[in-house]
This record gives sequence, structure tokens and C-alpha cells, in this order.
Amino acid sequence: MSEDPSSCPAPNNAEPTATRSAAPMWIVVTTLTLLFLGFVFFDKHSGWFDAKIYAPYSSAEQLEAFQPISGAAAAAAQGKKVYEAVCGICHGADGMGKPGQAPPLAGSEWVLAKGVNRLAHIPLAGVSGTLSVEGKEWNLNMAAMGAALPDADLAAVLTYMRTAWGNKAGEVTADDIKKIRAEMKGTQPMSGDQLKTMPE
Amino acid sequence: MKNGFAVFFAVLVALGGSWLGFVVAPAIQLGKAKQAIILNTTDTWPLQRTGEATLGLQIYRANGCATCHTEQIRQDGVAAEVTLTSLGKSKPEDLKAFLQSLFVLPELAKLTNNLAATLKDWKGDLPATLLTTGDKTVADAFADRLKAAGAKSETRVVATGADLPRWGVRRSVAADYLYDFPVQLGSLRVGPDLADVGARLPDANWQLLHLYAPKLSVTNSAMPSFKFLFDVRQKINGETSPDALNLPPGFAPAAGYEVVPKLEAKELVAYLLSLRADAPLYEAPFSPITSAKP
Repeated sequence: MSEDPSSCPAPNNAEPTATRSAAPMWIVVTTLTLLFLGFVFFDKHSGWFDAKIYAPYSSAEQLEAFQPISGAAAAAAQGKKVYEAVCGICHGADGMGKPGQAPPLAGSEWVLAKGVNRLAHIPLAGVSGTLSVEGKEWNLNMAAMGAALPDADLAAVLTYMRTAWGNKAGEVTADDIKKIRAEMKGTQPMSGDQLKTMPE
Repeated sequence: MKNGFAVFFAVLVALGGSWLGFVVAPAIQLGKAKQAIILNTTDTWPLQRTGEATLGLQIYRANGCATCHTEQIRQDGVAAEVTLTSLGKSKPEDLKAFLQSLFVLPELAKLTNNLAATLKDWKGDLPATLLTTGDKTVADAFADRLKAAGAKSETRVVATGADLPRWGVRRSVAADYLYDFPVQLGSLRVGPDLADVGARLPDANWQLLHLYAPKLSVTNSAMPSFKFLFDVRQKINGETSPDALNLPPGFAPAAGYEVVPKLEAKELVAYLLSLRADAPLYEAPFSPITSAKP
């Protein structure tokens, strides 16, 4: 048995070298999945590093929900809630009204009147006909949107109108509304001139 | 060196990342911390300490109080408590029947057992806490139903956790430490937490007695006596000084002598009484009990 010495492999004394190769796909996919889940968790629980959010609260909404309110603050919150559900659709969340549809409440002399009798009649009886607001004539047809509201809610929403958007006027109590409701002569919608015949 | 740039870059990322996370991010988050506003008021929190209390902070630091005391109250959760305050026109039995009819509502389904147990023992006495839940929307929904039934209720927000209400009424927040320099959070509770000690134990005389002889008021106290913050001196003409501690026999010095707090002791107590965490803040809300009912 003879072998050709020239066919022997050369002695392997070269340094081993590392070469580049692509990372396995499963590692890339797992890393990206973990990263995604991590960000979902972060989004849900971090409150986005807001300095006001501490454990056990995990988001600004949750912290807001737990703010205890009572007394005047509670009435204002209720007023805002009712306003946005009932009045804000036409008069706007900012109280600026809608051209050709609903007059503004912010700065309106009807809202800022000293007494609340005329103001309370608007949601209780509705408006039909012309009515001027801040020197501008409006031809309106508003239903008695407040007739079905409880006294406390109507008082809260009128108080909200009189104190929001830069308005500064006294608050309306549930007793005021109760009295006005009891003294109301009819529930027919009124025009601006008819409203003006009543005491403020 | 092979791959020198890659090593340099990796080190830069590691150190720079921790610097961003531990130094820059907290500085952005709380570096411009200002006084907080107490809920439903225009008052700010906390008040600047008096000069005496500010000096007391250094006495607290010098005596290593933070070795055994923490100044941080932790909070695990928050709950809304719905308390029935008035029945309106309905009788207790009617309201009970009405409440039992609510058990089928999906939003109250999880609380049915809880509510049923509360109602079982309820005989119409007021005020009655009917519901305690960690979900504010459920509590609000329940309160709305009560309102619809003509009854009146109050919803209170209560902070919960192992530290509460033992060491305070709410968790500690960054604003509480606004005037602390250095902030001495502490990490070991050999003694009680002191974040709210000024509200818990507001008696300066008690604090002085406790510093002089800890076992006097707390029999199993592990606190060493801080006698060196007090002077034991002879009474002048047999008259007791107004500042002298009123010590019972066994703790009192020899006849004709009295124990008077040094300036350091008074400053330390002023500092302890300035430690409070009892105002409701936006970031740590709770409902203060404004009117205690008999």
C-alpha cells in the first residue's frame, strides 16, 4: 500500500478565523416580538413618564378618574357633563354657538343677566322667533331642551354656562329652578320680545 | 487592537444609555419640580420649613436617623368607597330590594358577592359603606343607580396598601421632598416610617420625651436614647424651668435636678413635626374626611 506523499493534506497550523454569517431568523423574530410586547406594556403602564403619575396609577385617565370632587367642584363637573350631552351639540363645547343655528353663550347678555328667570325660561320653554344676542338678530327654533332635566342638573348646567368660557355671573341653585318651574305660566316656546316682558 | 472602534462604540452606548436613563431622564421629569396644589383649594404644598426645622434636618442627618427610619410611604392600590348617606323617601327594605335587583347588571356582576354580604347585615343604619371597589367607573355607575332610586351617597377615594393608613393617608410624592436637602428617604425600617410623623404624633412634648427615654412611651422600642441632646442640670433655687421634661419616677434624674432639651433637641423635634404627608394632591388623591359623623 503506497500513497502519493503529495496527496497528504497540508499540516493545519493556520489561525482559526471567524467569518460573518447571517443571524438565524428565529432570533430576529423573537427579539422583535419581545420588543413589541415590551412597548405595549410600556404604553399601558408607564403613563409615559409623566411626573404626576405614580404607582398604583398607570395612566393619566386613570388618575383623572380617581380625583375626588365634592361641593361646588362636583356641581361644576356635573354641569359640564350635562352641557356637553345636551347643549353643546348646537351651542358648541366652547360656547361660541354655530352660525345660523345657535347663538353664542360666551359673553351673551342673556346668560350673564343679573337674575336667572329669563335665562331659565329658555331651556324650560324653548325659543321660537327672533331673539337678539350681542346686537345680532337670530331667528331661532329651539325646543324645550331643559324641561326634562332634574332641577339640580339644570341648575348645574346654567351655573356652568355662567362661569365657563370667561363668563362671570352668579350661580344658579336647584331651588331657583324649582321656583321658576312652579311659576311658569305656559310651556309654549317664546320669542326674544316675549322673554323680555318677564322680569330678569 | 482589533475592532477598536466597535468596542469604543459599545462602551459609549452602555455608559451613555445609563447616563441618559439615570441622570437626564429624571432631571427632565422632576428637575423643575414646583410646589403642588392641594386638591379643591388654591393652597400650595408643601410649605417652606421654618428655620428651626431646617436646622433640625441637619440634626436628623448628623445622628443617622435615616439608618433606621424611612421617609417614604408606599401605596399598592386605590379604592372608591360608596357610602349611603340618606335614604330619601324610600324605606330601607325597599332600597335593599332595589339594590338586590341590580345584581344582574353586567357592570356590577363581579361585585355581586361583595354587595350581597354587605347587604345581609345592613338594617338601614346610616351612613353605610355599601361598596368598595378598585374600579372608579363601577363605583360611579353604582352611585348613579342610588341617585336614580332617590337615595343620596358619597363616593370617597381611599389609598390602600400595607403602609396605609398605618404610616399615613396617602403615598409620598416628589413634592413632599421639595425642601429637603439632602433627601433622606432611608432604606430600612427598624423604626417606624416618619414621612407623616408630624400629623400622626403632633405633640412636641411627646417627641422630646421619646427622644430622651424611648422606652417611656414605647415599651419595646429599639431606639437608643438621645440623652446627649438634653442637659441634666441643677434646678435654680429649686424652681423647675418651663422647658423641663416631666419625667415619671424611674426616668427622672436625682432630686433637685431637671432635664432640659438642648437647642438641637428642639430643632430636631421641629423638623419631625414638619414631616407631613396628609394633604390630598392631584398626583396622590384621596378624599379627606371633612365631617366626622358620630
